[in-house]
Amino acid sequence: MRVGIASIVLAVLLFTGFRSVGTLPPLGKLLDPANGVWATARAADLPPIESGSIPGLHQTVQVLFDDRGVPHIFAQNEDDAYRALGYVSARDRLFQMELSTLAAAGRLTEWLGPKALEADRATRTLGLPWGVERKFAAYDRKSLGYRAMTAYSDGVNAWISSMKRQDLPIEFRLLGVAPFKWEPVNSIHFFSKMALTLGFNDASYARLAAQARVGRAAADALFPINSPIQEPIQPNGLFAPRYDLAAIPAPGAPDSRATVAIAAQKSLIAALGIGKPNADGDAIGSNNWAVAPKRTASGHALLAGDPHLDLTLPSIWYEMHIVIPGKLDVAGVGFPGVPGVVIGFNRNVAWTFTNTGSDVNDYYMEDVDDASRPSRYRVDGKWLALEKRIESYHGPAGAVLHTDTLYYTHRGPMTKLNDKWVSMRWTAYEPSSETDNFLKAGYARNANEWLDAMSTFVAPTQNGLVADGAGNIAIRSAGHYPVRPGDGRGDVIRDGSLSSSDWVGFLPVSKYPFAMNPPQGFLASANQQPVDPKVNPSFMGSHWYSPWRAIRINQLLRGDSAVTADAMRKFQTDPGSVRADAFVPRFLAAAAREDSAGRADATLREAAKLLSEWDRQYTKTNRRAVLFDKAMTELASRTWDELAPPAGSHDDPTATEYPESQILLELMETPNSPWWDDHRTRNVTEDRDAILSESLSAALVAVKKRRGDPAGDGWLWSNAQPANIYHLARIKSFSALGIPIVGGPGTLSPSDTSGKQGPSWRMVVELGPQVKAWATYPGGQSGNPASPRYTDRLKLWANGELAPVLFPRTPNELPPNRVISNLTLHPQ
Amino acid sequence: MMLRVVVKFLLLSEAFAVATYAVGWWAIPLVALVCGFVMNREGRPIYYATICAAAGWLSLLLLDAARGPLGEVASRFGGVMGFPPAALIVTTLIFPALLAWSASSLGVVIRAKFFGAREMTPANA
Repeated sequence: MRVGIASIVLAVLLFTGFRSVGTLPPLGKLLDPANGVWATARAADLPPIESGSIPGLHQTVQVLFDDRGVPHIFAQNEDDAYRALGYVSARDRLFQMELSTLAAAGRLTEWLGPKALEADRATRTLGLPWGVERKFAAYDRKSLGYRAMTAYSDGVNAWISSMKRQDLPIEFRLLGVAPFKWEPVNSIHFFSKMALTLGFNDASYARLAAQARVGRAAADALFPINSPIQEPIQPNGLFAPRYDLAAIPAPGAPDSRATVAIAAQKSLIAALGIGKPNADGDAIGSNNWAVAPKRTASGHALLAGDPHLDLTLPSIWYEMHIVIPGKLDVAGVGFPGVPGVVIGFNRNVAWTFTNTGSDVNDYYMEDVDDASRPSRYRVDGKWLALEKRIESYHGPAGAVLHTDTLYYTHRGPMTKLNDKWVSMRWTAYEPSSETDNFLKAGYARNANEWLDAMSTFVAPTQNGLVADGAGNIAIRSAGHYPVRPGDGRGDVIRDGSLSSSDWVGFLPVSKYPFAMNPPQGFLASANQQPVDPKVNPSFMGSHWYSPWRAIRINQLLRGDSAVTADAMRKFQTDPGSVRADAFVPRFLAAAAREDSAGRADATLREAAKLLSEWDRQYTKTNRRAVLFDKAMTELASRTWDELAPPAGSHDDPTATEYPESQILLELMETPNSPWWDDHRTRNVTEDRDAILSESLSAALVAVKKRRGDPAGDGWLWSNAQPANIYHLARIKSFSALGIPIVGGPGTLSPSDTSGKQGPSWRMVVELGPQVKAWATYPGGQSGNPASPRYTDRLKLWANGELAPVLFPRTPNELPPNRVISNLTLHPQ
Repeated sequence: MMLRVVVKFLLLSEAFAVATYAVGWWAIPLVALVCGFVMNREGRPIYYATICAAAGWLSLLLLDAARGPLGEVASRFGGVMGFPPAALIVTTLIFPALLAWSASSLGVVIRAKFFGAREMTPANA
């Protein structure tokens, strides 16, 4: 009996020890305190002194880690510096680097098996890996970027091959996979994924969807090429925003051609796995600004960088400082997996970016020889051969899970829509050398040299802001802008059978949005339309984010003629909202008018009273922003009800894309516009005041229902809209959720209800004789969840504070009490 | 007598720890099987294997704790497994204990089969 029980117990334990059961990984490897998960505790802290070796290293490299976990790399040449960077990046972020590579290359199945197949198929159908291979093949083998990617790769692989048992990141253990060998091309994969995140602008989708419901004239007004409120990146000589508010045409008849086109686009987007384009523009977005010496208290140029991206643990950024005596001395953040600093500063120059959001991708309806198995496509009557690729998807054990046949025209990948084939051209497929651009930027001695380094940047288009020690400030929206034939618009599906549909080139750099040392003494960008169309009417995109953040930062900078670095820091978490300033008075006025007309009920009166108590500041402790935000949501759905799918439709009403809130403001000028009428209410014709009042009342009812008494903590902004920073694999216990933060839709630190996007890196740099910088990001330098350096920056970040950045010229300049680890890397 | 027990306990615990460190978790049933086979019944092989396997892993855990934030690992990893941190540590000790108990039990049976009734005589006790 006892033998039988023992045998069963042993069999069960051996089985669960060796094999995963359900979602549980193999328990033996995992629980083993010498080799399993527990061992990662031993790698949580950096050893005070250590050494390593990297094949190909020419000379010894010293890496000092300061108490913020930042590696200061002192090398004698570039190749050695990037080898060392690869080594330390892999030590801190190996899982993140490899996961990002697999995701961008459409190879997640190799770790996750069949459940990742659809994501991988979408990535490959979209042509991301295909584009990367083209870029890599075209990369100049003698370029700094290529050398750096190769050296970086050597460093990563040196770390992988020298890892001790405790060094394998916990995520690999949980997944039961091993790290793969790093390749230089992986760095380009990362940029490709960033191009998808930032440079895949499908504004045409929203406009076409609206056109299908309310006709072209109305759709063009709701999703315009030009913002009705102009506060452009390239200063237009005005000292205030310009409101070009025009009457919006009444909803017209549905456009059947657009209905067909939108069905095609929806299928295309679904086939490409891109999901719903364009999130709420008020809730996301990056900022940057620079102030010339004449408007700073110190008399030196100041620059602030504040890129907003998905918030993850570990962070998308890795902070570093690289010194090559007499040649390079650059600090800042880069992407784990990519050599070099992307946003940062050197002894003379500081720089940062926001996303331009220009329209750089187009679709073409192709004419193919065989709808089911095409081999050729026709252009100007001539048949051209299609490029054909067999894509294989492998499982963790190497078995082929699935194969796809993909086709490419000279424009890009083709996707089948029913019996039609549509190809896509996108600047992200074009040969480019982003690594070179960023690396060369680090060598710039002044703003002009920095602008030169970024002049060949391709994708995604970025508003690159630079300031230098001589007091120059400049901004240029760099990247390839396609020049289209005809009206130049990029928001239509073109006829692929004609070469005249193709792009005719790219805008020359001299035509990029640009400003240097403007008379106003400062420059700012916040994803708004870069150029006032009255200055340059060229098509660069459409459906721009509302310029609330741009207006706010311009307000703050115009109002301060002696800006300090600390003021720059405070601006980054300024709770003021131009959006609230624009809409709250309108809600209150409408409620007052309804009240005086005897149409207000107790709910409306209470809602108006509560809203009037708000100072329009998105502070953590305010209890009224939650009411305003809900009222804005109600207002949009009631006003734009004509855009929602009709009753009985199979379309998802929550997928309806509404115009930006600046269009709502435009509509306010016409109190009796037919747009205000809620066609869902029969026998009643609402006007502006009625809809504003109904929205406010409905918001109060909804917020009370969800959050209780208006005086209670449920209404606190810190509880209503905290930051939620998920681990890359969405493991909850590796995540930091419910972090109270300042800011909301339309503020300089915007957020949405998911809390998953936000300020990914905040930096302020003063370009005096001694460059001073302050910075932080949410998370920490280490990717090891057990490490104290995993979340050590979170509190600072959540409080809107920044840490001084150490910037020593030599190892000896780093205060010994600030050094936590000294790594010496030797040639092997 | 007491000293002999302590020495035996320490040696066996470290045998489990060293074997785990050098070979991996599956060294536990191997060592326990050998224990059950080599030690005679009066030496209480099952008892010692069970206790010492857990103690061996405990010593490894203590080594981990001395060199890093074990509590943080317990907290984070416990979250993944859906266990409170303390329960995860207990599980980590029960796992080798059960492995050792079951393997040493089999070792004892194999020994009995191998040596037969000879070992059961009072003279051999």
